[in-house]
Amino acid sequence: MNHLTDEQFEDIMQGEVSPPAHLNRCKDCREHLVEKQAMAEKLRLAFRSVQADTALADRIRRQLNLTATVPQIAEHAERPWMHRLHRRLWSGLAAAAVLLAVLIPIGLYLTTASNASAAQAELVKIHQRNLKPHSEFYNSTDPEKLAEYFKNKLGFTPAFPCIGQGMSIRGCCVAHFRSRIVGSYVVDTPQGVISVIIVTDTPQSIGMTRMSEQTDHGHTFWSGSFARCNMVTVRLGDYSYCAVGEVPHEILAQLLSRLLP
Amino acid sequence: MADRSEFESIALEHLETVYRAAVALCGNRQDAEDLVQATFVKALERFDLFEAGTNCKAWLLQILRNTWIDRLRRQKFTEQALPIAEELIAEAPHRDETVWSNAQDLLENFSDQQVIKALSQLPDEQRLTLFLIDVEQFSQEQVAEITDVAVGTVKSRTSRARTALKKKLISYAKQMRLMGGEK
Repeated sequence: MNHLTDEQFEDIMQGEVSPPAHLNRCKDCREHLVEKQAMAEKLRLAFRSVQADTALADRIRRQLNLTATVPQIAEHAERPWMHRLHRRLWSGLAAAAVLLAVLIPIGLYLTTASNASAAQAELVKIHQRNLKPHSEFYNSTDPEKLAEYFKNKLGFTPAFPCIGQGMSIRGCCVAHFRSRIVGSYVVDTPQGVISVIIVTDTPQSIGMTRMSEQTDHGHTFWSGSFARCNMVTVRLGDYSYCAVGEVPHEILAQLLSRLLP
Repeated sequence: MADRSEFESIALEHLETVYRAAVALCGNRQDAEDLVQATFVKALERFDLFEAGTNCKAWLLQILRNTWIDRLRRQKFTEQALPIAEELIAEAPHRDETVWSNAQDLLENFSDQQVIKALSQLPDEQRLTLFLIDVEQFSQEQVAEITDVAVGTVKSRTSRARTALKKKLISYAKQMRLMGGEK
């Protein structure tokens, strides 16, 4: 007697085919089918308890709000006079020029916003990778050795924060950000682990929003969030120092303020 | 041109499904949330390519899968996800398996978390396929489209996933002393 094949079982479970007569005769196959169905049901029920945190939806909406001006611009573009202009588009080159003048900046804006989101995601990935032990991570708490490491790998020495009050540097690493090699170091703080990633991009170009007016030292803090991580960035010379971690923005800003001359 | 408000109304409606699929892939909530967020960002970028009236949920899950694979590649964990490696896993004919005579009763003993954990230990493509078939109840054709393989592969992959999941649960059952020396 030929038993049912795995493929036939799958088709039966999908309701693709009627159960073949063999099932009536074969207890073995019937039991297999019952078992498979029971497991499928158990799996389905197990995921009923899995629900996204409401904060996740908010975070995603916030993230998408990076392009929040788009609907406003689109709405503006679809005002009645624009509708009329659109209808007459075929009749005049001038109308086409107006439309292009509106659409091109929107397109550029969208591209920039999307790139900014991707940049923040990359920063968070670098931070997450820093948290897991891996062979490329250089373990050292000695700022001089870390400076030497960066000098060799990147050709420059970044600023390090004044350590103390429960803060210590764990080590550093180089990583890829926007297809370029960048440096980062990890700081243990009483509030949590923070990565400081040094990039050449400006805070605006990586989608950060202004967090504060200029400090006494003439610096401005910029902030962002991705997944569970918060980010604060400050521009020092030719580099942006991005502090990333699952800690409040204020703690990140506090750490970065220790970098300031 | 991506319309953000349209995107929110069409795509965000499927957040729960995308999130559950991410949990199935990642095995933990934190990574799942990160993956979901990255998926929606990518989806917005590509929203121009989405054809109105088609299955948005399947489209999002396709992006989720691709994002997940990109991450695995970047993290140099590809060996866990290579389809070839998966195909090479010896599959014992079901005749050699022991059937749980009391499958439903036995399964009652496992918590949701244990079942999800067992699923998360399966090879990447197997767990996504089984999740899409059993939990989201997609058709084999839809899963083939989402996972970019032939329908026949979906069937064999689902079957292998069931066998692998059962093995994981048997191992839990033994640890919980729900089973003795049964295979």
